[in-house]
Amino acid sequence: MTAVGRAWRRVTLPGKVVLVLAALAVVASGLLAAAAVLFGPPIVAFLEANLPLVRFVVAATAVLLVTVPTAFLIIYMEMKVIALMNLRIGPDRVGPFGTALSVVHGLKVLAKEDFTPTGADPVVFTMAPVVVFMATVMSLLVMPFAPGLFGQDFNIALLYFFAVGGFTVVGLLMGGWASFNKYSLLGGLRSAAQIVSYEIPLVLSAAGVVMLAGTMSLNGIVERQAGSILDWYVWQQPLAFLVFFIAATAEANRTPFDLTEADSEIVAGFATEYSGMRFGFFFFAEYVNVFVVSALTTTLFFGGWNAPFDWPWPVTLALDPGSLGILLLVGLAVVPVVGTLVFAAPFWLARSDWPTWQALLAGFVVFNLVAVAAVLGWAFVSFDWVVGLAWFMAKTYLFVFVFVWLRATLPRVRIDQLMDFAWKWLMELAFLNMFVTAGALLVVDQLRG
Amino acid sequence: MTSDERRTSAPEAPYEIPAHPSADDPRVVLDRELGVFEPVPPYPPRTEREAEFYTLRDGEMLLNMGPQHPSTHGVLRVVLKIRGEQVVDLDPVLGYLHRGVEKLCENADYHQTIAYLDPLEYVSSLFCEWPAVMAFEKLLDVRVPRRAEYIRVLTGELLRVASHALFMGWMALDLGGLTPILWSFIERDEIVEMLASITGQRMLFNYYRIGGVNGDLNHEFMSRLGDWMSRATAQHEANTKLLNENEIFVRRMRGLGVMDRETALRMCWTGPNLRATGVPFDLRRTHPYSVYPELEFDIPTRSEGDCLARYLIRLDEVKQSLRIIDQCLHEMPDGPIMAKLPRLLRPRPGRAFAAVEGPRGEYGIYAISDGTDQPFRLRIHDPSFIHLQSVGLLMPGNLIADTMAVMASLDPIMGGVDK
Repeated sequence: MTAVGRAWRRVTLPGKVVLVLAALAVVASGLLAAAAVLFGPPIVAFLEANLPLVRFVVAATAVLLVTVPTAFLIIYMEMKVIALMNLRIGPDRVGPFGTALSVVHGLKVLAKEDFTPTGADPVVFTMAPVVVFMATVMSLLVMPFAPGLFGQDFNIALLYFFAVGGFTVVGLLMGGWASFNKYSLLGGLRSAAQIVSYEIPLVLSAAGVVMLAGTMSLNGIVERQAGSILDWYVWQQPLAFLVFFIAATAEANRTPFDLTEADSEIVAGFATEYSGMRFGFFFFAEYVNVFVVSALTTTLFFGGWNAPFDWPWPVTLALDPGSLGILLLVGLAVVPVVGTLVFAAPFWLARSDWPTWQALLAGFVVFNLVAVAAVLGWAFVSFDWVVGLAWFMAKTYLFVFVFVWLRATLPRVRIDQLMDFAWKWLMELAFLNMFVTAGALLVVDQLRG
Repeated sequence: MTSDERRTSAPEAPYEIPAHPSADDPRVVLDRELGVFEPVPPYPPRTEREAEFYTLRDGEMLLNMGPQHPSTHGVLRVVLKIRGEQVVDLDPVLGYLHRGVEKLCENADYHQTIAYLDPLEYVSSLFCEWPAVMAFEKLLDVRVPRRAEYIRVLTGELLRVASHALFMGWMALDLGGLTPILWSFIERDEIVEMLASITGQRMLFNYYRIGGVNGDLNHEFMSRLGDWMSRATAQHEANTKLLNENEIFVRRMRGLGVMDRETALRMCWTGPNLRATGVPFDLRRTHPYSVYPELEFDIPTRSEGDCLARYLIRLDEVKQSLRIIDQCLHEMPDGPIMAKLPRLLRPRPGRAFAAVEGPRGEYGIYAISDGTDQPFRLRIHDPSFIHLQSVGLLMPGNLIADTMAVMASLDPIMGGVDK
């Protein structure tokens, strides 16, 4: 037995795994470097030649990745906000204030058995969550998050949005039909009836905005709302906003229109037979959908990324990190150490019972918080898209909050009341709004000559 | 015979199989792969359910709701016959919680009986003990001390408030509202904790005794009660404000599951459900027992007889209960809380019936004594059972979602239904 063999045997199992992985990583990076040197230029040339394709792949990947934390955030928000409204405490065990609970939920869902009931159509049953999730994610591709930060901008983006959003119903119907369960079937059919009915007032109410903006490109619509808070379309289209928001609630299957998964009536609707990650996809899709409809409401009626008012004290930092040269490197090396020590000093002085390392740890945490805040602040004043993204997210999450609020407050409507409301009220209001908008536009055009 | 006609019996063999059989035709057995239900097997129905299956018309299906359904209030199983979303027929299937309490009581002595009766009505368990001890007191010719009677009324009315509070939450929960149940649990929790301080239990109190009650009021109970009474009305108002003006809630409840006065009387309805149809029948007034004749309260009635009336009348009753509690506290006499009784109870042979007005209606106990220390026969009259049997009258024509609303508005407790 050699010395290497003895050493290897003393290493624990996790250590062995890490060592093997490290070796593999070293080999792989070597190979990658070699590949980059050998085939780099042609690959770069190919990518440059197909820039839209690259953009699409990058955007799709980014959107897919963004959905996960978005869903986690909204799930946590829902748990906590509804708990507070119910006079409960809500999640408070995992992570600070229970913030990691939805991540743990995600892991739990991953670890659960992925069960297919006897008699189910396995292919359709498996595809249904994928269809629902993809429909939701695809609609994010045209969403203008910030100036320059969008997957694709084309002149029928709004139409594309509604078309892709309509796919959801196909997925729900697939899941309801393939589950081989009467509750699922009822849920699937309810979702079909509901979403198809509410799609009409949803699209019609957006038509007023399209008329005002003269474009269906979401970017174009946002740009036409630039200026102050008074330029947002909600002031010109208040009725459309109401109709749109109600229809969007139904579209996202949220309370009071959550008949598809009415737990007190049809158990869990289309999701009754789903478990494990398939159910997780439905769940994710639902919450991402909440984000999507909130984002669309923001885009159409609340100015998208536009700030509601100009910043009263314009701050400009003419700080170009590149101009610092080698000093930047030195600063990066020195600032953390100095900052940690500076922020550790008060702890060290004030808390005599703390050992030094604890004060240093506290200083390190505080320094990190300050540094993150400073970097974010710098980005906020230096980059347009950071400001846009911040405003966009703030407005969107305001509507997400409203959705959560509705869920905690309202009971569920009945299916016939749901249908009556869509066809007898929302449709008429949407048409009325459309005609009034068109007439007003004509009159304004005439007056302007 | 077309498939649209209602079938009352099994089809006779042999069949004439049409050239293009349809899965909806109940005469046809389609030779399909395993995992697909055949419409009708080629033999006469062996069970009631199978026979019911043959009565399905075109476009109808049976939907089995329960016993593990989230909103059937325990282990009720309901077989719904639905056409799309519409309920054509409905059949509650009972017995999933049957423990044979009546038989158990025949093998227990009179004191032990009370403990068996407790878990019948697990939401308001004092109202199951009360008629039992009253019936046994009649058998034994015992006079209950006045203080004990007042304590019984006081605890009973407290529990009525708790039970109605829970009802309000359930009602909302079955209609999809998440919040009211947690708000109403504030009241219920406080009352239940309060009672736990004199009885030692939170749910199955086992507090009433033949000839009195188990323990006197203590300091903790009185201080909690005083605290609670000082804000009970405000709390009640706040809880009802959550729902009463909610357009969705009211629209779903109004005109749903209407019961007229005659049918209600014919179906032996009692309690708030009967009073919601306009009959001012309350055992506390019509067949007075305990100290109720000395207390002042009204019998609220409503004439609509729909789910909303059944909901609102319970809210009115809570106010009356608060009135009664207030009077009990003011007029509570001093004195013993137990009558002098021998350790071993051997009532004279005979029979006695006693009934009290519980939060769900009339709880009755019919006891037969044969002179030994165990009841010869003990029969339980439970209002939940009586009310549940008329669900079949209220439901047809309504939607699946209304099943829950109607059943919740009748407020059945499955422990009492299945005994």
